[in-house]
Amino acid sequence: MTGRAPEPDPSGGEPDQRGMVRILIADDEPLVRTGLRVILDGEEDLTVVGEAAAGAEVLQLVRRLDPDLVLMDVRMPGVDGIQATSHILATLAHPPRILVVTTFENDDYVYQALCAGAQGFLLKRTPPEDILAAVRLVARGDSLLFPAAIRNLAIRHGARRDRIAGTLTEREAEVLRLMATGLSNAEIAGRLYVAVETVKTHVSNVLAKLGARDRIQAVIIAYESGFVAGGG
Amino acid sequence: MVSAARRTAQWLVGHRARLRWVYEVLGGALLMPYFLVTLIIWETLGVPAVSRSPLLLQFAAYLLALPLVAATAFVPPVRPLEAAAAHMLLGVEVAPGPGLSWSSRWRAAVWYVLHLAIGTLVAGASLAVPPAAALLIVPPLIGRPPRMSANGAVIDLSGAAGWAPLIGLALLVGLVVLAAVGGTGLAWLAGVLLRPTVRERLANLEQRAAQLAERNRLARELHDSVGHALSVVTIQAGAAGRVLSRDPEFARQALAAVEKTARDALTDLDHVLGLLREEPAGTAPQPTLADLDRLLDRTRSTGIEVDSRIAAEAAGVPAVVSREAYRIVQEGLTNVLRHAGPVPVFLRVGLCGQRLEVELTNPVAGAGPARPPDRGRRGLVGVAERVAALHGQVTAGPDGHGHWRLAVEIPL
Repeated sequence: MTGRAPEPDPSGGEPDQRGMVRILIADDEPLVRTGLRVILDGEEDLTVVGEAAAGAEVLQLVRRLDPDLVLMDVRMPGVDGIQATSHILATLAHPPRILVVTTFENDDYVYQALCAGAQGFLLKRTPPEDILAAVRLVARGDSLLFPAAIRNLAIRHGARRDRIAGTLTEREAEVLRLMATGLSNAEIAGRLYVAVETVKTHVSNVLAKLGARDRIQAVIIAYESGFVAGGG
Repeated sequence: MVSAARRTAQWLVGHRARLRWVYEVLGGALLMPYFLVTLIIWETLGVPAVSRSPLLLQFAAYLLALPLVAATAFVPPVRPLEAAAAHMLLGVEVAPGPGLSWSSRWRAAVWYVLHLAIGTLVAGASLAVPPAAALLIVPPLIGRPPRMSANGAVIDLSGAAGWAPLIGLALLVGLVVLAAVGGTGLAWLAGVLLRPTVRERLANLEQRAAQLAERNRLARELHDSVGHALSVVTIQAGAAGRVLSRDPEFARQALAAVEKTARDALTDLDHVLGLLREEPAGTAPQPTLADLDRLLDRTRSTGIEVDSRIAAEAAGVPAVVSREAYRIVQEGLTNVLRHAGPVPVFLRVGLCGQRLEVELTNPVAGAGPARPPDRGRRGLVGVAERVAALHGQVTAGPDGHGHWRLAVEIPL
């Protein structure tokens, strides 16, 4: 289930050879941490390697434990989830993937966290099965979590960026549109009748041309610039 | 033409005109005590020259009564009473409540004098004209000479018998016109003198906006805290469901945590909804330190033990400080309940030199997970804003002896 991700920073954020995803939980509420730990540790392919009770602890723990994925609460005392996310991504050469955990969907902090480089967000009220699916999806990293919600957030925050210059090839533009609907590389390959490796190349080119860190940033840019229409 | 005539009739004797007439007669009635006082003073001083001419005496007493009226026009209840009557009977928009600024007090005082002065003239005419008109109109109709009486002196008008009924009618019409003109004039003057000033309107709007902002803040905090609690409940219950047979001990703990979290959230909900409901509906006065006892009683009724030491001199601090201090205590108590639960609270309100001191301490909750301090800080943002506005100081945090302490100092 592994394999090189198309993103420019494949990194130590990839699950190890046996496919075990190493997770760090950052949340100031102990009851949320223990609950998430019990849900995640019960799975054979997931393991919780550590817990952080404050944003300031996250970076140290990430350095020490080298997790594949961080479940990051947005609202934490002191350094919040957004700051911690930017910090990790700015400091580490091979940062883990970051999945933001939040109480409210229509929370401006969620969008800020996504813009700061988190790969997706997860509502605390999500049923355990879906939490597990979301964690695996983000750990794999080749499709978007909750594409509709991300679209709504991006549209609500308006077209603040310049239009994407006509640098994308027709095929790359097509791939970006499909990425925005939440399709994985394999699904895009199926849609376009090309090999998965070809899709990965297109995705890499799109990210490079947009200056995006990963596919969620590329999709946010696509929505904000109006490249992808918000209506549908 | 017809509609013009109807409008004139409406203006002279319509519903609105009759109400305004009542308002004018009311002004005459209100002048009576002042008038009598003037007459008594007059008699006491024994001014003989005027007493031979009663009508002139009455006018002089009327004029001399007006300064007395002016002297009492600044009594606070005058303005709301006059405003309420003007609103109901004259049908004009007026500023409610006692005037706050000197300018509005002055205008209300001028209004009071004008109301009584004009009202007395109309009321006097209303009493005197109908009998006089009757004496002019009725006797010629039954073949007797018309007469006119003024203050007991009867004037024989037999020489003008033919004109007398017309003069009587003219007097009646004149009375109606006088009342209508007076009423219209008073209504116009009320617009000038009693209408809320721009400043009063602004102050009302600002007060309303502040209340709405406060309610908004409370609602937002409630949304946050209940959302947080429900998230915890969802995650704990979800986790417990997955490991029920594998790890019954965790499931048991999770159920206990769910129970406690949900109960705390309900307490919080109850309390904040109580605060929202208690918000004054309109322009009710803001509570001050004098209302602290009721606040503490309410807090005690939610199961919180409150030990309070409130200095008697605290009642004498300026109103704005008193109001804000009340709100600070209220927010502090809400905060304790929200973050530490129903723990005993110690409240001290006292004066130290030229400062008002408010101190609220409570033991930090021992059992159960402590809520993160940042949520506490967010709850205290309101306190910090109030204190900053009054150039005071606020400190909040653990005191190192297992207590959370909120201390506020406000210069007087």
